Amino acid sequence: MKEKIKIFLDSDLLEKYLLGATNDMESMQVERYIAMYPEVKKTYDELQDNLENYAKLHAIKTPEGLKEKIHARIKSERSGRKQFFRYAIAASIVACMFASASYFFYNQNQSLQQENSIVTNKIKTLEADMKQQLEDVRNQFIVLNNPQTKKYNVRGNKMAKDLKAVAYINPVKKLSYINVSKLPKLPEDQCYQMWAEVNGEMLNLGIIQEAASKDKLTALPYSDNAVSYITIEPKGGNVSPTTNKIVANIAY
Amino acid sequence: MSALLEKHIVELLQERNEKAISLLYEHYGDTLYGVAYKVVRNSDLAQDVLQESFVKIWKKSDTYDASKAKLFTWLFRITRNTAIDKLRSVNTKTDKEIQIDVSDVYNLGVESIKPDLIDVRENLDKIEDKYQIVLEALFFQGMTQQEASEELDIPLGTIKSRLKIGLRELKKIYNPSILLALVLNIVL
Repeated sequence: MKEKIKIFLDSDLLEKYLLGATNDMESMQVERYIAMYPEVKKTYDELQDNLENYAKLHAIKTPEGLKEKIHARIKSERSGRKQFFRYAIAASIVACMFASASYFFYNQNQSLQQENSIVTNKIKTLEADMKQQLEDVRNQFIVLNNPQTKKYNVRGNKMAKDLKAVAYINPVKKLSYINVSKLPKLPEDQCYQMWAEVNGEMLNLGIIQEAASKDKLTALPYSDNAVSYITIEPKGGNVSPTTNKIVANIAY
Repeated sequence: MSALLEKHIVELLQERNEKAISLLYEHYGDTLYGVAYKVVRNSDLAQDVLQESFVKIWKKSDTYDASKAKLFTWLFRITRNTAIDKLRSVNTKTDKEIQIDVSDVYNLGVESIKPDLIDVRENLDKIEDKYQIVLEALFFQGMTQQEASEELDIPLGTIKSRLKIGLRELKKIYNPSILLALVLNIVL
């Protein structure tokens, strides 16, 4: 250990450190030695004293006015700092404003995006609806325009004498439509409902709204030897047809 | 420098009280100016160096660590390094300007010296030149022992021993002057 200290003291690391000429690595090494070995610490303290004494021997009276210049420099340094703080405060305010503006725009953007997706969905739904309707119209056209389409005039029985409807059946394309053009008035608590018997099963085709169905072709499920019925049912429709209230039937 | 005053100055520095600069200038100004002058060998440059050093001291005051160095050591390091940097920047700017006659420099130094320091300066002359040259090279010229050995054409071992002896001699001449000051204080 003694040998290690001697080698260290013989090197000029301690002197270099004293003068502030060591690099970071060397400084750390020297500081470690000073902390660990009292002998090194003692030498370092002596060197510090000697340096101070030696430097004092070379003291030269400072020129007049130098002190004032230094004070002026320090003052400007301070005001520079103050200015810096002023800028820092201004910058913080700007940053806060920027942050709140960002937050505002972020929110706005978020709600716009939501709106946008709603609109897009609506457009998609509309598109699908339109396609569906177009498809319906196309099918209707095909049925109506096809030479093999048969047209049946449907009339009501004695319970609804004025009922007039036209059914279009195309056995080749397996499509059938009905257009109810006239329905006799019913009491407030009753309505007309349409049914179709397909392969022995009774299907509910829904309530006929007179006004809406006047110019509308309603699709009927196609099947060979199917029968469609129109019945009078309590308002709001029924789950199965009331057989004694059949006002018209269409067999195809 | 009394330890108490040193502590007071350090406290003021860490409080960022400008009074610290006044006290530092009062107590160390001449010595640090001497250090700067020794390195740059020109009074205008030395004044610049001292100004810059004080600004650095002020800016770095919170980095001073009393456990690592005495206040003067810290001040000396800043001043010496500032002076060496200054000399390098001037040297690279104008190589010619730096060729100042050495005799001028020494005259200037002697003229502006504090009267109460003349005694020690005379004492300093008592240290043999061979020690002084080594001390100057190491303390003021910014040389390492290795560089001083090459520059002065003296073996490294001799540099080391001369440094140690030179410092010992220095202690001898410096201590009596303190003693003398103390005696004078008591008598007066």
